[in-house]
Amino acid sequence: MAALESETRQSYLVFACGSSWYAVPAEAAAEVVTFPELTRVPGSPPHLLGVFAHRGEVIPVVDMSLLVGGVTAGSRRAVLVRLPRGTLALTASSVAGVSPVQGPLEPLGPTGVHVHLRGPGKSGTRDVAVIDPEGLFDHLSQGA
Amino acid sequence: MLPAARVEGTLLCHVGRHRLAFAASDVASIAAPDAACVSARGAFRESASVQRVLVTATGEAVGVDGLEIDAEVLSVLPPSPLVARASGGSLRGFVLTRGVLWPLVHLTGFERYLRGLGGDGEGA
Repeated sequence: MAALESETRQSYLVFACGSSWYAVPAEAAAEVVTFPELTRVPGSPPHLLGVFAHRGEVIPVVDMSLLVGGVTAGSRRAVLVRLPRGTLALTASSVAGVSPVQGPLEPLGPTGVHVHLRGPGKSGTRDVAVIDPEGLFDHLSQGA
Repeated sequence: MLPAARVEGTLLCHVGRHRLAFAASDVASIAAPDAACVSARGAFRESASVQRVLVTATGEAVGVDGLEIDAEVLSVLPPSPLVARASGGSLRGFVLTRGVLWPLVHLTGFERYLRGLGGDGEGA
């Protein structure tokens, strides 16, 4: 229960990718960028759209919609998620801003990327899935 | 802090609408297409097409659509852990030239990776 209360007091950056809404802890969300033409990485999975150079760092761009089995969001904007091990960009078709998320925030599935998505969560009237950035980073690092 | 890796002499290759770079020191010769090479397009899930073939000193051969030779010394930007295992671990990093990033791969390891894919990537 302590973990739940801690989760609900935290602030999140809430954004949409395709028809779904996601939330990342605000302290990990570095900025929202419009990315340039991407460079495709040979041998990478479809959800890894490519990379771009940003302030001397090569940043991979991940389409959350493709990652969870949907169709590409087709957006040129992304939320930069900065972790001690590196930065990744998550495509965002819309950004709602920073707000708390309410809900039990349990893993949305037993396997795959859904282990690192928690819910059901509510941000205002929106249904959101909360991203565990470290877990997502681990998951993606194993896949490409 | 470790000094940034550098590469002196690079083959900048076009593979469909994608880009690849190889260190010139990886390439022993550039040859015409033949049935023994594998197409780099396989790494991008595209149908094989080869115009030029890069050959290592030990005979590994990878086909590309076109290439330019860059004699500059370029810094190698390290790959993110998210992509470090791409192409069977043959990705060395990225070079920034001509205003865009180019994935820099080890030619020998990349050829092994392409052969492992099998299917449409093989042959010219």
